[in-house]
Amino acid sequence: MKNVATIIPCYAADTSGVCAALYELGGLIAVHDASGVNSTYATHDEPRWEDEPSMVYVSGLTELDAILGNDEKFIADVVSAAHDQNPAFIAICGSPMPMMIGFDFDAAAREIERRSGIRTFSLHTNGMHAYAEGASEALLTVLAEYAELDVEKQPHSVNILGALPLDFGGAAPVQSIRTWLSENGFSVISCLAMGDGISSFRKAAGASVNLVVSYSGLAAAQYCFDCFGTPYVCGVPVGAAFSAQLADALRQAERTGENAYPCASRSDAAARTAVIGESIYAGSVAAALSVSGDPARLICPLPYADGILADTDSDAESEDGISAALAEMQPETVIADPLYRFILPQQTKHIRLPHYAFSGRCFETQIPDLTAARFDTWLAANKSIQSECTGF
Amino acid sequence: MIKLAIYGKGGIGKSTCTANLAAAFAMRGKKVIQIGCDPKADSTINLLGGKPVTPVMDWLRDHDDEPDRIEQISAHGFGDVLCIETGGPTPGLGCAGRGIITTFSLLNELRLFERFQPDVVLYDVLGDVVCGGFAAPIREGYAEQVLIVTSGEKMALYAANNINNAVKNFEDRSYAKVRGIIMNRRNVPDEEKKVRAFAEGAGLAVTADILRSDDITRYEDMGMTVIEGDPECETAKRFFALADLLIAEQK
Repeated sequence: MKNVATIIPCYAADTSGVCAALYELGGLIAVHDASGVNSTYATHDEPRWEDEPSMVYVSGLTELDAILGNDEKFIADVVSAAHDQNPAFIAICGSPMPMMIGFDFDAAAREIERRSGIRTFSLHTNGMHAYAEGASEALLTVLAEYAELDVEKQPHSVNILGALPLDFGGAAPVQSIRTWLSENGFSVISCLAMGDGISSFRKAAGASVNLVVSYSGLAAAQYCFDCFGTPYVCGVPVGAAFSAQLADALRQAERTGENAYPCASRSDAAARTAVIGESIYAGSVAAALSVSGDPARLICPLPYADGILADTDSDAESEDGISAALAEMQPETVIADPLYRFILPQQTKHIRLPHYAFSGRCFETQIPDLTAARFDTWLAANKSIQSECTGF
Repeated sequence: MIKLAIYGKGGIGKSTCTANLAAAFAMRGKKVIQIGCDPKADSTINLLGGKPVTPVMDWLRDHDDEPDRIEQISAHGFGDVLCIETGGPTPGLGCAGRGIITTFSLLNELRLFERFQPDVVLYDVLGDVVCGGFAAPIREGYAEQVLIVTSGEKMALYAANNINNAVKNFEDRSYAKVRGIIMNRRNVPDEEKKVRAFAEGAGLAVTADILRSDDITRYEDMGMTVIEGDPECETAKRFFALADLLIAEQK
């Protein structure tokens, strides 16, 4: 069997990606799934749940509803909840059960919109893909819906695309990225999808360049490039030296109108360090290491797109694939979520970089803010910690 | 583009009608795709000289990965009709309806329509609209019209009525609409009267009248449609007439 994880956990599902992407936007999100599934999202995948209200619902799909094709119950419940809550929009998405019975989310969304009078989106999740897939479709959908075409470009302005707690852990690192942008002369028009609402997205076309901080934001960035001519730059400002390169890349993209992928601009000759994680975030960590003289490779178990990975990075979506990539590379040091330690080769030094989408709240308080020089401080502190793996 | 789904009671002649219609369209210069949506996977066999194409479900059963090229799960038949079969799960196991949805998703991923640029797409669907999977061909983006094949036999008309009602249930969903009935005669007593009475009661047109003919059986034994075997015969002419009608409506 392929893609089976027997030791490590799997990443948060696409449904959680949808919920996380839309959490702060004032919409009603309905996941069509069995009762109790919402607690998976609320408990494991959403750090904002305790502090910030949102309208995330699960339909409570039953066995008989599935067998009998009671689509009407889901549609009527969502319409009823929408009348109670008066959301800015409605988003519906699915899990494995509706996928198996062939529930038609597009048709249901049309029906819900007709009855409620509220703009309704269907997002094509099935609970079996990674969070980044769901978040990507959700961010693209809201941006395409709300970004206005006739907006004048503002020089030295950006949208931050793909900022989610699932990758960044909380609001602090995203706020740090905003501050870093400001320090480099850029104003932030909107951030998808933390800290800003739909009113900000309406002006997204005014950005002179977009900063894509995770794969989840890439489709939205491509949309802006295609529709507004806004170039994008892929990378997270990690480490002082790489952050300086990233800022230069933003300025250059603004000048030339060409997209850039600094997260993949690495020389990894004789790399002795591997970073496991999300393509743009972990790729930026690898880039920051490489810039500072410690060439690193990325092992990416999540979705990616052309240009995001360096030539010698590994895409390894399964536990077996990750183990094989590690065995081939034989790194001295691996930077990865703490739960990866169980599949790292013996004697490998493991620097723990918790990833909320992987280990949930297990290491929530240990998720660092790696923005700019903070990364260098964090790395120095963690290099000194002896944490050799003994294998599983 | 003409996008048609053919429904009807099991054994009523859906695949025969679909394949002949596909061949007739092809002879009129149209670029045609026929997608068999039945676990038996025999919808297109008479366009392929009796040599079946590998059904999508068989491919998925035999390979670790999904196909990455249309060519792996399709074959060009008579008139260059592109033939695809969903196939089905191991008999008695799995979910055939889900197999249809999976096949359609896969064909979308492989960008079938963008790559092939068809003029006509025909979906030949198993028996009745028994579950979500068998309604997939009439969802938005797939078939826009439904033709129901029936004879004058009681159970065939009963199934035709069920199908018509099922499609009506989806009126609010922008699904396909029933275009009409193909009367595929079995020579039962008062056949035309019975079919036309049903059609009138349901508010449907009898779009084609296919006479009972040994030509169909003879050429199917040879792995071909009557359009290929004898394009001048009366049965072939009636399929050509149906194709011409649908082409004219499209214009």
